Amino acid sequence: MSADDVTKGVACTLKPPVFLHFGGGDSKTQGCCSGVCVIDVALPPGKTTITFKNFYTALVSVRLQRRSPGQEGAAAKWCTALRDRPLMTNPHTEAGAQDYYSIDRKQMQVEPDGVSSIRLILKQPSSAWLTFSVQDVRIFPRMQPVRKELVFPPQDPLDVASVSCRLQQMWALSQVMQSSQSHAASVGRFDVRTTHARTSKYIFHLLTSP
Amino acid sequence: MFNPVAETRDGTSTNMADREKRRSAGSGSCLAATVAEPGPATKGSDREFLSQAGVGELLRGALLKMVEARPDDPVGFLADHFGSLAAAVVESGSEDLKEPRLSDGSSGDEGARGARAQQRLNRALWHLRLAHHSQRSAFGNNVRVAYDLLSLTGPFGHAGDSSPAGAPGGGVSGALYTQTLRCLCGEGGVPASTSAPLLCRLHCHDHEAVPYGVFRHGVLTCAVFSDYIRQAQRLYAQVCQPDEGPASRAACLAVLGALREALETSRDADSPSVKALRRLEASAKMSPHQLARVMTEAQARGPAGHMDAKEFENAAAELFIARVKVVS
Repeated sequence: MSADDVTKGVACTLKPPVFLHFGGGDSKTQGCCSGVCVIDVALPPGKTTITFKNFYTALVSVRLQRRSPGQEGAAAKWCTALRDRPLMTNPHTEAGAQDYYSIDRKQMQVEPDGVSSIRLILKQPSSAWLTFSVQDVRIFPRMQPVRKELVFPPQDPLDVASVSCRLQQMWALSQVMQSSQSHAASVGRFDVRTTHARTSKYIFHLLTSP
Repeated sequence: MFNPVAETRDGTSTNMADREKRRSAGSGSCLAATVAEPGPATKGSDREFLSQAGVGELLRGALLKMVEARPDDPVGFLADHFGSLAAAVVESGSEDLKEPRLSDGSSGDEGARGARAQQRLNRALWHLRLAHHSQRSAFGNNVRVAYDLLSLTGPFGHAGDSSPAGAPGGGVSGALYTQTLRCLCGEGGVPASTSAPLLCRLHCHDHEAVPYGVFRHGVLTCAVFSDYIRQAQRLYAQVCQPDEGPASRAACLAVLGALREALETSRDADSPSVKALRRLEASAKMSPHQLARVMTEAQARGPAGHMDAKEFENAAAELFIARVKVVS
C-alpha cells in the first residue's frame, strides 16, 4: 500500500451501467425505465472507502460479494452493506444532484473484508431525470491506525500546550515594555564626555587655524 | 468628622473642642447638635453641611478608587485611602505655615524631612499598588498621582537643598525615583540580584529631575518585569519533571531558546504590516508543535546535566533586560 494509493485511490474496473427495464419482451419496443441502474466494480481486496461524484442519482445501495476468511473454498456470497442511502434530499430537485460523496467502512452494515466485487445499485424514481449515474468512482484502501511516537517517555509527559501558553505570556509582557519605551521621554542628560571632546576639538581648531 | 485645619498634631482634641464651642453657640449647622434635636427644619441644614464639607466628592472619590482597586480588605483600603488624604492635607497645611514640626535643630530637621520623604514614598507606592498594569487607564491615573506626590518640593523648598524630597526645576528627584523602582521590584517578588541589571538601565542620577515620561516608563517596566519573573518561575516548575528534582539543562535551554527567537523575530518595524507579520512569525516559534519538536531534538542532542531555578530565572531575566533601552 503506497502513499499514492491513499491519496488517489486505487484504479478499479467499472463495468458499464446496466439499466433495468420492465415490460417490452420483444426487441422492438424499448420497455420503460424502472429507474434502477446497477454498476459492478471489480477491485483488489482490502479496500474500504468508496468515493464518487453523483450525477442525479437519488438513492444508492451497496452490495458486496465477499468471501468470509474461514471459508476460502466456498463460493463468494453477496450481502448488502448499505441499503438505499439518500444522495438527493428530493429526487425531483437539484439538491445533491452533483455532489461528492464517500462511503466509509463504518457506514457499512457488514465488514468489507475479503471483498472481491462491489455492486452499486442506483435508484432515481423521479421522471424528471432520465439519465442518472455516478462518476469518478474511487476506492481507498484501509488506513492502518498511526502509532504516534511519544515525545517523552510515557511516565513524564510534558504539557507542551501550557508551556507554549506561558512563553507567549512572557513574550507579550516584553512587548508591553517595548511599546511603552517607544513613547518614553528622555531625562535630557548633559553628557560631559562628548561635549568636552567637541569643545576641545573646536578650541584646537581655533588655535591652529591661520 | 473631617476637620481640614488642624492647629495641633492631635486632631481629635481640636475637633472635640470645636464641637463643644459650636454646640454652646447654639448654631444649627453642626451635625452633632442636630442629632440631639431631630425635626423637619434640620434636614436642609444637614444637606447644607454635607455640601459645605464636600463629603459627596470625598465619598465618590473613595468609591471610584475602590472599584478600580477591588481590594480584598475593603475596610482597610478605605482606612488607608482616607489616611493618605488626611496626611496630604496636613502636609499642605503645614507648608503654608512654614513652621517645622520638630524644631530641635538641624539634625531634627533632617530627620523630619527624611521621615516625611519616607511617608511620601509609602503613599506613592500605595497608589501604585492599587491597579495592575494591565488596567491601562487606572494604572496611568495612579502613576500620575504617585508622580505628583513625589514631586512636591519639601516644606523648606530651598533650591540646591540636599533634601531627598523635592528636586529643583520640578519633577521627581532621581534618588526617590530609584527608591520607588527598587521597592516595586522587591514587592513584586523579584530578588535584588535579578533586578539589579534592570535598575542599572533605568537609572537616573540622584541629582537629576526625572520627567513624567521617564517615571511612568520606569514604573511600568518594573511592574511588567515582576510579572515576567513570576511567569518564568512558574515556567521552570512546569519544565521540571516532578520526580527528578532540577530540570534537564537541555529542556530549559530549548524553552529559553524558543523565547529568545520569538523576541528577536518581533523586533521593531516601521510599517504596521511588517510588524504584524513579524508578530505572527514570533508566535509560530512558540507554538506547541514547534516547542515539541525543539524539545525532542534537545533531548536527543542537547547538553547533559541540570539547570537550577536561579540560573533559569537569571537567563529569562537577561532576555527581558536586553531589550530595555538605557535611560538617557
